[in-house]
Amino acid sequence: MSDMRFFVDPIRCIGCKACMQACSECDTHKGKSMIHLEYIERGASTQTAPMVCMHCDLPTCAAVCPADAIKRTEDGVVQSSQAPRCIGCSNCVNACPFGVPRYYPEIDQMLKCDMCYDRTSVGKKPMCASVCPSEALFYGTLEEFQSRRGGTPQNSFQFGEQTITTKVFLVLPDGEIGLDMDVISHMDARFEPDAFDHLDPFAHLEPLPMEQPQTLRGRL
Amino acid sequence: MLNPNVPALPPRRDTEPVLVPVMDVTLDRRGLLYGLAFATLLTVAVYFGSQRFHGFDGALAGYCFATVFALFGVVYRYVVWLQRPPTRMYWKRGWQLFWQPGHRLQNLGLFLRAGWEKLIEQRFIRKRSRKRWLAHQLIFWGCIIAIAITFPLTFGWLRFESDFAKPSDYMIVLMGQRLDFFTFPARSALGWLIMHGLNVAAVLCLGGIALVLGRRIRDEAELATQRFDNDIMPLVLLFAVSVTGMMLTASNMFLEGKFYYWITTTHAVTVYLWLLYLPFGKFFHIFQRIANVGVWFYKAAGANGPQARCARCDAEYISQMQQDDLKTILPDLGLDYTHSQVGNWQNLCPSCRRKLLTLNQFRATGKEFM
Repeated sequence: MSDMRFFVDPIRCIGCKACMQACSECDTHKGKSMIHLEYIERGASTQTAPMVCMHCDLPTCAAVCPADAIKRTEDGVVQSSQAPRCIGCSNCVNACPFGVPRYYPEIDQMLKCDMCYDRTSVGKKPMCASVCPSEALFYGTLEEFQSRRGGTPQNSFQFGEQTITTKVFLVLPDGEIGLDMDVISHMDARFEPDAFDHLDPFAHLEPLPMEQPQTLRGRL
Repeated sequence: MLNPNVPALPPRRDTEPVLVPVMDVTLDRRGLLYGLAFATLLTVAVYFGSQRFHGFDGALAGYCFATVFALFGVVYRYVVWLQRPPTRMYWKRGWQLFWQPGHRLQNLGLFLRAGWEKLIEQRFIRKRSRKRWLAHQLIFWGCIIAIAITFPLTFGWLRFESDFAKPSDYMIVLMGQRLDFFTFPARSALGWLIMHGLNVAAVLCLGGIALVLGRRIRDEAELATQRFDNDIMPLVLLFAVSVTGMMLTASNMFLEGKFYYWITTTHAVTVYLWLLYLPFGKFFHIFQRIANVGVWFYKAAGANGPQARCARCDAEYISQMQQDDLKTILPDLGLDYTHSQVGNWQNLCPSCRRKLLTLNQFRATGKEFM
C-alpha cells in the first residue's frame, strides 16, 4: 500500500455518480455512500465537485472529537468513527476544513470515507477510484499517474492561517506547491438574482438507500 | 613508590554530559489525586459497609483489591480524558445546560429518557443491525448482572445466611442488615436463580461473544480494521471469565469438587486481568458513552438557540453555540483557522467547504467550468 496514492482531480469529474454507487457497495460502510458530490453552479455549468476524505496528516476531525473516536492508522488513513465511542456530537462534521464527515442521526454516529480500508489495506483500489470513468478519482503509483496525464499532485492546503497536509493528492498545474483556499473570488455567482445552484435536479435520486438490502442484512 | 619526576597527568577534558535515557512516563497529577480519592472512598465504604470487615470474605480479598485498583484506573483515565479541550467543553456545557434554572425538572425527565434510550435500550445500535444489538444487549446484561452480584459480595456488603427458624431457607444480609422479609427456600426456582445468577450472566455473555465473534470472523470491514488489543482481547477476557466461572459450578456439582482449587485460581486471574483491562482497553467506552446523554442536551439547547449562517451561502448549518465552542477549542488544539476573507474558515458550511476545493482548483488551473 505504501507506493499507492489517491489522486483527486475534480476538473475531470463528469457527475456520473458511479463513485457514489460503488462507494455504497464497500464493506466498510455497508450501503451508505461516503462520497459527496456537489453541484458548483447549476445555472451556469454542469460542473460537479467530488469530495472524498483527504486523510489529513493531523486530522482536525480527530482533534475536535471529544470521545477519541476517530483514529488514524499507521499507514495514514483516517478511519470512520469507532462505533462504541462515537457520541454523535458532530464536532468533526463541523470542524473538518474539507467538509467531509457526515452524521447519521438514526444510528447516532459519524461515518466518513475511510479509503475503503478493507480493500486498500490488502492492496486493492478503493471502490470509487476503481469505477471512475474519467479518472477524476485515481488510485495508483505516482509513476502510473505521471504516465497518464500532466499536472502536479500536491497535498498542501492553506486555510487562512492553517496549513493542512494530506495523504490524498489534488492535481494542480505544474509549478504550484499547494492550494491557497480563496473564498472571495467564488462569492459572486451566489448573489446573482437568478443563481440557483442550490437546486439539485437529481435530488430525487437522493439519498441512496440507508437501509440494507435484505441480502446484505445477514452479513452485518 | 611514587616517582616525583613523572610528569603530571593532563587535566581532564570537559566532556559533554552523557544523557541518560529516562522513562517517558508522566503521571497526570489531577488524575492521580482524583483516582486516589475515589479509591480511598471505596476502601472506606468497604470498611464500613462490611461492618468493619466483619462481613468481609477474606477469600475474595484479591477481587476487592483488583476492583479498587480498577476504580483508580477508571477515574484516572476519565480525569485525563476530561482535560482534552473538546471533552472539557462538552463536560462544562453539559452541566451548565442541565442546571439551567427553571429547566431542572424538565432536564431530569430528558436525562431519564435519554439514559433509557441510549444507555439501557441502546436503540442506536438496533438501528445499525439487530444482530449487533442482540449481541451487545447479551454482553451488557451479562456484565451488569455479574457486577451487581460480585462487587457487593467482594466488598462484604452482601452475603447470604440461613434462616435460624428454618435452615433450608436463605436470607440476604445487606450491609449487616438481615432482610428477613425476603427469605427464599434454597432449593426452589428462585433460590436456584439467585445462587446461579453468575452462571446466568456467564451464559448471556457467552451468547453475545458467539455472535460478536461470528461478525469479527466473517465481516470484511471488521477484519480490516479490528485490532487484537482493542477488539479481540475484550472477547478473550470475557470468555475466560465466563468459562472459568462456570467451571467452578461444574466442579462443584458434577465433579465432586475436583480441580476446584486450580479452577478458582484461574478464575481469579482472569477476573483480575479483566479488571485491569477495564480502564485502559475497549471497556472504557462504558464510561465514555455517558457523555452521549450530555450531547443530547447540547444538541437540544443548540437547536433552540440562534443558528450560525454560512459566510458564503448564508445557509444555517450549525448552532451558534457549537460554532463558538469550536472556534474556542481549535486554538487550544494548535489549529488556527483564522481566514482574512471570512474571518474564520469555520464560518463556512461543510457544503461550501467541499465546493471551494474544486473552485480553487479551477482558479489555480485558470480554467472555467467544463
